[in-house]
Amino acid sequence: MLERRPRRLPLTLRGRSLAVLAVLGTGLTIAATAGADLGRFEIDARIYTKHLYQNDDSQGVLMLGNPYPGFVDDISGNNGVATELELAIRGKVSEFVEAGARIASRFGERWHDWWESGNAFYGSDSINTSGESVGMNRASYLKLRGTYLQAALDIPGVTFVRVGASDFSMFNPWTIGKVRYIDRDNGRGYFVGGRFGEEDQVQYQIGAIALPKLYVGPWWSTGVGDPALDNAFWSRDWAYAGTLRWRASDTLQLRLVADFTQDLEIDRADPDAQGSLNANCQDLLGNPIPGCAPDQAVDLLTRYASVNATLDVEADLSDTVRLTGLVGLSGQRMDRALTSNAVRDNQGMSPIVYDDTQDVAGTLRLSANDPFENGFSLQAEYFNIGADWNAIFGARREADVLLTEGFVGNGGQLPTLNLANEFVDFDDDWVESCIGWHGGTGVLGYDRDNTRIKAEYTFIGYNTNRQNRDVDNKYPDFLHGDGFTDTALYNYVNVPDRGRDPRAVFHRDQYRRSHIVGVTGRQLFDVGRELEVEAKLRYIRDEDFRSTKTTQDDYAGDIAIARAQVAVPVVDGVRVGVYGQLDHWVEDNRVTSGNGYSDDVTDRLTIGTRVQVQYHGLKVGYVLEHVNKDLASERYTDLHWNVWRSKATIEAGW
Amino acid sequence: MRTNRLVRVLSFATLAGLAFAVAAIAAEPPVVLQDPAGDDNGPGTYAYPNNEVYKRGSFDLRKVEIIDKDTTVEFRVTLGATIEDPWDSKSWDGNGFSLQFVQIYIDIDHQKGSGYTGVLPGLGTAKFADDEAWDKVVLLSPQGRTRLSAEVRGKAGNMRGGVVLPSTTRANGKTLVASVKKSELGTPSKTWGYQVIVQSNEGFPDKGDLLTRKVNETKGDHRFGGGSDYDCDPQVLDILAGQAKGEKSEAADQHKTLAWSCAGEKPGKVAHLPMIYAAPAAP
Repeated sequence: MLERRPRRLPLTLRGRSLAVLAVLGTGLTIAATAGADLGRFEIDARIYTKHLYQNDDSQGVLMLGNPYPGFVDDISGNNGVATELELAIRGKVSEFVEAGARIASRFGERWHDWWESGNAFYGSDSINTSGESVGMNRASYLKLRGTYLQAALDIPGVTFVRVGASDFSMFNPWTIGKVRYIDRDNGRGYFVGGRFGEEDQVQYQIGAIALPKLYVGPWWSTGVGDPALDNAFWSRDWAYAGTLRWRASDTLQLRLVADFTQDLEIDRADPDAQGSLNANCQDLLGNPIPGCAPDQAVDLLTRYASVNATLDVEADLSDTVRLTGLVGLSGQRMDRALTSNAVRDNQGMSPIVYDDTQDVAGTLRLSANDPFENGFSLQAEYFNIGADWNAIFGARREADVLLTEGFVGNGGQLPTLNLANEFVDFDDDWVESCIGWHGGTGVLGYDRDNTRIKAEYTFIGYNTNRQNRDVDNKYPDFLHGDGFTDTALYNYVNVPDRGRDPRAVFHRDQYRRSHIVGVTGRQLFDVGRELEVEAKLRYIRDEDFRSTKTTQDDYAGDIAIARAQVAVPVVDGVRVGVYGQLDHWVEDNRVTSGNGYSDDVTDRLTIGTRVQVQYHGLKVGYVLEHVNKDLASERYTDLHWNVWRSKATIEAGW
Repeated sequence: MRTNRLVRVLSFATLAGLAFAVAAIAAEPPVVLQDPAGDDNGPGTYAYPNNEVYKRGSFDLRKVEIIDKDTTVEFRVTLGATIEDPWDSKSWDGNGFSLQFVQIYIDIDHQKGSGYTGVLPGLGTAKFADDEAWDKVVLLSPQGRTRLSAEVRGKAGNMRGGVVLPSTTRANGKTLVASVKKSELGTPSKTWGYQVIVQSNEGFPDKGDLLTRKVNETKGDHRFGGGSDYDCDPQVLDILAGQAKGEKSEAADQHKTLAWSCAGEKPGKVAHLPMIYAAPAAP
């Protein structure tokens, strides 16, 4: 078997590919010593170019980059063009063993960076006239990513073992979420999967995952940068997770998913630890400390630990009616001596509540898909997510746990404070946190022939409603927690007022309820190669009485949004569309200005065009839009935005 | 006076009802083809990939309905599991589902030598008989029309002229529903023959493959197993077989039909896909 050349995997190695492989000499050497031949390689390549334009003076290739002002990256900005190359390599080691990796250039080198090497000749404060050395992001270096080995095993109950990269899609957004696209193979671990029982009724996967240094923990890290720690120890921080799926029958399936994260730190009381407080095992008076004795082993303490577990059920009540439900448990524990209080010391920006917490969550959804074969469908969902629920390692974007479109629209709702609305461009969808949401959604749909209509009503009450909540020391308020969010023109410093941070679910005083109504329609017309017309109307009534001791601070938002889009295929592989959106937001007591709350009225008109071209492997996308926004506010006068911007992407894979 | 009006209304309603009933009777009844459960294993050996998104029954063909509707033809393909959208198809201009890719081959004229005997690229080693060559193939794909039409243009070669892309494709519970213009397909007839092939959508297909997922010797995270690593096997998971009445024996028919072999690294036995004719051909 080992001598067979698998036709599925081989690459037709032309001169160019051989040259690339020659450059990758090290990897090939290793492969060669393992006895593999080039026929066992499967190589995909892709070149991707993005060109951003906006009529402002920012320079970069990413609308929203690193959100933390202290770590300003050097690729964020609205004017620039950059290219990346990636090579995905997969190989069949044998009939049962497969390996793979991705080698991709770091995105950020712009076409104008002719000589960038990443080697900083000058200090960051100096003007660099060499045209070189702005930073490694701009050096376009190739980085090894996504390495994995997977073996199919001939062991009863064990199907495979995987070592290395995974996107974690075997878990769920409430526990460990599928890694967002731009980080898709950064996560690595050890995984085992299998199935057993009659007709493989039971399937399982378990894994131990290296916790990312950044984001999964207090202070947005597993210790790195936390002022409470002198020497963050992150190499033994892991998450342990498992999923167990039981197919009880052809129409009933249950799934248990659970994860446990643990962030360990050095016990500085241990005389063996670096920077030990008791290196000599003597107290301040020089007396021996009882029980203190070096043993060349270092004790560790748990800085932060979390557990999330869900049990979900999928029941097909008939061919057209389906019931899905989920119940979950979330909890966290922390060692305050090893964990700084980011709520207090980081302006309320924290992915966790600064306390030991636990809470529950649940959803129940009934879907009737065209049960009477007349085109009408109905979906109804109840959701109840505890105020202290948090999925610290859950999905950060590109997932959606609720039926409603919510406030931000297409991106969806996720049960975490760890959302990632960064590293996005103006045409990317936003996500919002649904922690504390309690309510229901009904969606009536009609889908027949060339007509598709969907109508939604959602009511949201909030488990986070509370008076005099401690947002100074315990609950993160993310600094900007008021006002409808302007995702089209957002910036992190929120100047001037772009509305609520989508992570801001906690307020000092809140007594809030929301109604969301929406209708979306799509109609195909037999014009040309079929004209597609889409329209969407949304209205949101958002009320927050805030402090119940006064009516002076009551918030009332009436948000109306109308959007229309027309698109038509011009020729095979070319689609052209135009769209327009009109926003009208009337908000009483939108945000405080220091002298009390102010009333705001926002009018925004967005018009744009979108072109997609796919031609023999070449993919081109182009969006051009104009945003005209007026904000009439008691805090500002005549605030106006006149923004032209575009994004072009050109890519080809082979 | 009031009574007369009531009589007129009732008479009109009765006539309208009768007209509707006559029209309904006169309309061509839908063609219904069925397939047994649990035969989503190609020649009997194919297995789903390891990844959790490939749920049991997701590629198990159960029923096909072809409905004549005025200016369009509606194709309804029912599978063994609720059709889901784990890869968020709306983010890539898709049709609301992610995994399935169904190709419906149609023999319109049932004439030997007329039409195509090959299958679209990506379905491996399989072909139709000369006297059952297909004239049109309807693609039920989660990919949007822009991507799908570009793939067809770039990869279908001389078969491109027989490819019909639906105006709309959507998932509804366990059923894929596609609407095709009669102006592009023609009006269904009892003499038409059908073959329905269930495959899996692959957004990053191998060179030359038309959005299909590989069947390898050993299954992987996103590749089916139980086939060959050489180009010997039909890369199809489920088809119509026998009389397409959904009888259990049709699973065995399918396994027999899709049986394959390698002669060294080259195809040995080639799978011959049958056409299912709603009515027997004229003598």
